[in-house]
Amino acid sequence: MPVEAAVAVETMEITVSKVELLRELTATQGVVERKTTIPILSNYLFEAGDGELRLTATDLDLSLRTSCSAKVKKEGSCTIPARKLHDYVKLLPDADITIKLLENHWVSIRCGRSNTKMVGMAKSNFPSLPVFPTAGVVKIPGKVLRGLIGRTYFAISSEESRYTLNGALMLLKPESITMVATDGHRLAHCERSGEKFEGVSGELKTLVPKKCMDELKSLLDSTDAETVEFAKDESTLFFRIGSRLLTSRQLTGQFPNFEAVLPKDNSKSITLNNSDFNSAIQRVAQFADERSRAVRLKLEKGEVKISASSTEAGESEDSIEAPYDGETMTIGFNAVYLVDFLKAAGTSDVRLELKDSQSAGQLRPAEGDDYKYRYIVMPMRI
Amino acid sequence: MAATSQLPAFARTIFHVDMDAFFVSVEELFDPSLKGKAVVVGGQRHERGVVSAASYEARKFGVHSALPLRTAAKLCPHAIFVDGHPERYRECSGKVFKVLAAFSPQVEMASIDEAYLDMTGTARLHGPPLKAAHKLHHRMKEDTQLNCSIGIGSSRLIAKVSSAQAKPNGVLWIVPGQESQFLAPLDVRAIPGVGKVMESHLHELGIKKVGDLARLEESELKERFGKWGLALAGKARGEDSGGWFDTEVGADTEAKSISHEHTYNEDTADATQLEATLMRLSEMVARRLREAKLHARTIQLKLRYKDFTTITRAHTLPAPTQLDGEIFEQTRALFRKNWKPGREVRLLGVQASSFEAQAEQINLLEGGRQQRWKDALAAADRLRDKFGESSVKLATGLRGTFRERTHENPAGLPGKGKSK
Repeated sequence: MPVEAAVAVETMEITVSKVELLRELTATQGVVERKTTIPILSNYLFEAGDGELRLTATDLDLSLRTSCSAKVKKEGSCTIPARKLHDYVKLLPDADITIKLLENHWVSIRCGRSNTKMVGMAKSNFPSLPVFPTAGVVKIPGKVLRGLIGRTYFAISSEESRYTLNGALMLLKPESITMVATDGHRLAHCERSGEKFEGVSGELKTLVPKKCMDELKSLLDSTDAETVEFAKDESTLFFRIGSRLLTSRQLTGQFPNFEAVLPKDNSKSITLNNSDFNSAIQRVAQFADERSRAVRLKLEKGEVKISASSTEAGESEDSIEAPYDGETMTIGFNAVYLVDFLKAAGTSDVRLELKDSQSAGQLRPAEGDDYKYRYIVMPMRI
Repeated sequence: MAATSQLPAFARTIFHVDMDAFFVSVEELFDPSLKGKAVVVGGQRHERGVVSAASYEARKFGVHSALPLRTAAKLCPHAIFVDGHPERYRECSGKVFKVLAAFSPQVEMASIDEAYLDMTGTARLHGPPLKAAHKLHHRMKEDTQLNCSIGIGSSRLIAKVSSAQAKPNGVLWIVPGQESQFLAPLDVRAIPGVGKVMESHLHELGIKKVGDLARLEESELKERFGKWGLALAGKARGEDSGGWFDTEVGADTEAKSISHEHTYNEDTADATQLEATLMRLSEMVARRLREAKLHARTIQLKLRYKDFTTITRAHTLPAPTQLDGEIFEQTRALFRKNWKPGREVRLLGVQASSFEAQAEQINLLEGGRQQRWKDALAAADRLRDKFGESSVKLATGLRGTFRERTHENPAGLPGKGKSK
């Protein structure tokens, strides 16, 4: 082949292990664009060189870059339809796969006796992605970040018009990290202190979008890496977890002044067994109004009665023994909001702190809590 | 048909009370000099928009409701054009309802100026149908100074058709058993639900009069027009059929939606102006929600461009609302998302639906603010009740001020809530 022609024609040829490739394909599926309005976003960008294959997926809000080791026969790059490739590779035997770029952006995928050609797109169409900053990188223990996310992500609003509530607030201080999320009806707040965050002076406030939180959660669940490297520039957040790099467009705007709504004088306090309380609510909630999911809690001497009723389903009551000798009071809550907390609390006992039937209630783990977890939930009028 | 002359086991007595030239008559109460003249209600002669109502004198010149104002001005150049006053009509309609409610517990306002009354079994109280009707007619004039026409029949359909025949200012009773005889000579168009299109279909078949229709076999109508054909057969015999009149008079049909729309006199692409209109419309919708003691979960925007392409976009809220600001916030978001800047808009509309009786979930962040808004708006509503709709407005909506157009069929009428 003449030299000039070789320069003009794009090439790429690699061999990767199916297991390794599939692991990375699975990890990146959440970031692939689901809508097909911009076709290139349903594709992976594959780049081969230095003994590895680098995979990139983006939906413009998020991007995820990862890699796996590969025998690189010809360096180069190509794009491949992401979902189809994932579905196909899942079905291949556990053996080596050879991927080779053909003419017109077609890509050949061979594995054992299986031979497939997929239709890719020009790689020049693939959006260029933000570059990980060289300065201002903060190391956060992966377990801590996972703990914070697990206690807050469900309280993020999915109401698009409440723009600044579409993410959680991450507050980094030199010796603590705080995460807060709210949808306007309940608020989850947790704080981990006794850590050391080098490079943080004063307060570093970041709004982490819901989609980014979800993706972080699943990346943290499938990694051995102990620390997450966090950085940001004007428009982008970066989280490096092992060999994977997640970027997210920043949410701009003012997170509400959450400190103002944290209850201070909830003097009626009662400690409940988490799983008893949880099961009672779930049972009773079967008979709650389907739309409002309202359940009634009645605090009485020595017990809490949990009840619900609806004209369609009927009515139901459960009672739990509990040490309480304050005055009797009744308060309504959305059952879903309570159960969300009980699932996330992770302790055998929880404490419910109330003021009156119109004011915010507070739930906390009763013991062994390294996250100073507090969950504020507004009552319902019943 | 022999079957039709048979009396139903329990003959029912339905009144259809239709106010004569309602909007015009109300205007005449406020300006007696309009009496006996050609009057067009709905706006000024040069304005865009349509005729809400025309006096009988103006009708002689071919002016009728829904006609463009400018066309009406051409047909009847000497007519007096007056702006509509929806609040006056609502008030008078309320008085009308009061009169009607004294005659039967089963009253359904079918629109702002007409109602069905189920008078079955009221003979001992009000006397036989004709006597009761005359009493009602007299009382109406006395209490409201307005004329009405009353049709009496064994079905809603007969009552409705006969009130049209009785107009103006008359009473007509179709004695049970005479229904088909009464209907036979009338044009098919007289049957409620038969519009232009149906009429021309029927004319193609050589069916001009209701009698022609009644002579057809049911099966043939069904074959040609499906379910609606079957209903038509029933209607030709004077029965309530085909979903149109199926419900009992006054049966509790709850409002499904509340909406307000505005058509601009001149199309506009001025974003500030458009958003101000949305504010004003949101305000009006919220006011009606509070009047009806409802909270809406779904907010819909209607947007019609100059070329009449129309889009509607809706959003469902996490918690139901009846606050102006929250409705506006949603409408504006929908508007900003869907309006193509620079494109001229002809009409905007705001609709609230998915009603709940109470906003149950208290808000954590906005709770205090919401309560303050609630209190402020309740105070504003009291002012409006006392001094009129335009006495209090939100500032954003000021530029969006416009005369409310006259709706014939608003939601929230007693006994009838389905809005169109």
